[in-house]
Amino acid sequence: MGVGGIGFITGSAAAESDEFFIIANVQDQEIVNAAPVRTPVTGVGISVTDPAGKLIGEAITGPDGLAKIGVPARADYIILLDVASLPDGLVLIDTTKSQVKIDGLLFTTSTKRVSFFTGKATLAGATTFEKVAQRFSDGVRLGIIIAMCSVGLSLVFGTTGLTNFAHGEMVTFGGLIAFYFNVTLDIPILISGPVVILMGGCFGLLFNWGIFARLTKRGIGLISQLVVTVGLSIMLRNIFLFQFGGRTKQLTSYAKQTNISIGPIGITPRDLTTAILGVCILISVALFLQKSRLGKAIRAVSDNVQLASATGIDTRKVIRVIWFAAGALAAIGGIFRGLDEQVGFQMGSDLLFLMFAAITLGGLGSAFGALIGGFLVGIFVEMSSLFFPTELKAAPALFVLIIVLIVRPQGILGKGQRVG
Amino acid sequence: MDWIRIFENTLRAAVGIDAAYFALAAIGLNVQFGYTGLLNFGQAAFMACGSYGLGMTAQYFGVGFWWGIPLGLFFVVLLALLVGIPTLRLRADYLAIVTIATAEIVRLFLRSVKFKKYFGGSDGINNFSREYRDLNPFKSGTIYGIRPFLFSGYSLYTLIVGWVLVALFSLLVWQLMRSPWGRVVKGIREDEDAVRSLGKNVYAYKMQSLVIGGFIGMFSGMVFALDRGSVQPDNYSRDVTFYILTALVLGGVAKVSGSVVGSMLFWFIFVLSDNFLRELTRDGPLRIGGVTIIQSMQVGPVNYMIVGLGLILLMTFRPQGIFGNRQEMALDGR
Repeated sequence: MGVGGIGFITGSAAAESDEFFIIANVQDQEIVNAAPVRTPVTGVGISVTDPAGKLIGEAITGPDGLAKIGVPARADYIILLDVASLPDGLVLIDTTKSQVKIDGLLFTTSTKRVSFFTGKATLAGATTFEKVAQRFSDGVRLGIIIAMCSVGLSLVFGTTGLTNFAHGEMVTFGGLIAFYFNVTLDIPILISGPVVILMGGCFGLLFNWGIFARLTKRGIGLISQLVVTVGLSIMLRNIFLFQFGGRTKQLTSYAKQTNISIGPIGITPRDLTTAILGVCILISVALFLQKSRLGKAIRAVSDNVQLASATGIDTRKVIRVIWFAAGALAAIGGIFRGLDEQVGFQMGSDLLFLMFAAITLGGLGSAFGALIGGFLVGIFVEMSSLFFPTELKAAPALFVLIIVLIVRPQGILGKGQRVG
Repeated sequence: MDWIRIFENTLRAAVGIDAAYFALAAIGLNVQFGYTGLLNFGQAAFMACGSYGLGMTAQYFGVGFWWGIPLGLFFVVLLALLVGIPTLRLRADYLAIVTIATAEIVRLFLRSVKFKKYFGGSDGINNFSREYRDLNPFKSGTIYGIRPFLFSGYSLYTLIVGWVLVALFSLLVWQLMRSPWGRVVKGIREDEDAVRSLGKNVYAYKMQSLVIGGFIGMFSGMVFALDRGSVQPDNYSRDVTFYILTALVLGGVAKVSGSVVGSMLFWFIFVLSDNFLRELTRDGPLRIGGVTIIQSMQVGPVNYMIVGLGLILLMTFRPQGIFGNRQEMALDGR
């Protein structure tokens, strides 16, 4: 304790050459002829805190757009840009990046540079209508991902009765394999995507073949199987952490894009493409379930396993198909989520709760319910951030979950039978 | 490889403060999961009720730390009502979904900037344990005990408080489960409709079980907070509940001794694996034939992988745990 205190005092009083520095660089970026042109931004407040939130130092960017802040050691820090101090009309291009974390392990030299890029404000002066429209479009995109991921979760529940807490790890699997192909092997997403989806499907089959089919055969009850999925979730998440590391990383395909405006909404071409693709996939899933022979068999099994079996449907085959579909759809969700945000070992388990809210809202076991529930939850969560702080964005989803369970526990499309 | 040190650390961990607070949380979870059949996946949130109840006495209300108990109990009842009212009439997995979600949201609220005034944001609360420290009968600088069970005065003090609470609540739960109340609750686990047809208010019994289990979990959070001298939101993540569940299943569900022995065993195995792997990777990454097997940074994930695998294998091959009775583990049908 005493040593640390003394070290800190001499550190800040000593000559500059003995210190470590964090340099924040704030640049305004404009796209001219498809190339970014950058100009420094002065007078922006930058502060550095330690991970616990204790203030280490503050500075204001000079004419070169730089702010230099001395720190006592090469450790973890958080760098905060005071958004309110930005000149009028400028906002951060990535509005979520007003704070940046520095990892002490990567702080190898005596200075560490962090860059912030600003652009012309599109939302700063936006009317309420524009804000609502923007949130709505974000919500639809989130809804597509949730719907995609939760169809499989709901179908697995419908056919086997299993509440799969490891479903989030299937999503993560898709994202991480996509990262492996895209970044490590440098194959574009468009080519590697189908392979990732196929692997995701096989991952789902592996769940069934390796664990749950065997457990059912051994006569292990559903609640015990539920606890097994919890164990599986812990194990897989830590395997991902072991292999991938704890930081989130960016897919390289379509990473650098600027917004195009469609009416009041700003969206990158990448997000627009994934949204359209997502809707197409969801429609084809719905058509498949509604029209095809196998789809009808799936719905029959998920409705009543014994009855379906009595009419000559090979229920075990149907369950295998469902696990494959669940894995494949989760992998697609993982790729989209990875393109949308970043890839990390917890990306799927962070979505799990929203997926549960979606399938409860739509009706546990119903595929169409999961689609509708996914969209509604996604839109509701994003829209609520108009009123709620972003850090509490997930809270409204819990609110939905609780209200649904009190008012209509079988969900929107669930049958009015007793679920108690 | 320093085997003596590994075994000393391992033995110390088996009776250490981590085992004690796990045991308390597991006793609480056992009342809910083991005896009543309630899948509470949010025990971490009930622990947080205790820690924050304690922390807020000093931080926000400025009253003595004994007020932490009624304040914590207030939070526990509030949380139990929040998760219980919508779900206890429904199938068991609804409670699992809602508790896991609620625990996560509680953590988000606790660490949010918006409510920093009350809960201290992501730094949590630090300055609440002075009164408790003053009650310490041991000298905090001195080391007590015999090898390998060496503890500083303050650790020993918290350790004794922790294990006394474990003993008290073990006795309480043991007596409770022999009482008529316990028989009804066990009946609910076996067949809810049968109990209902005997004219018992199943819903009320489930709610009582949820509150009692949460109340015991609350003390677990308090012991943990007092030992660390701080309350931090990220100590109550979703996974904490799962580790406690693993400890409970390891020792044996629906058995009072199971929760205690399971927690000791959990930490014995965890620290053994942790220390062993750290010794292996101390002089750089372990390589076999030029292939890097494990680096020191990867020791943590491997430990938790073992926990997850352990839970899978236990539920598959020995769901009654080490001491449990297989018939008590018939958590099916619902």
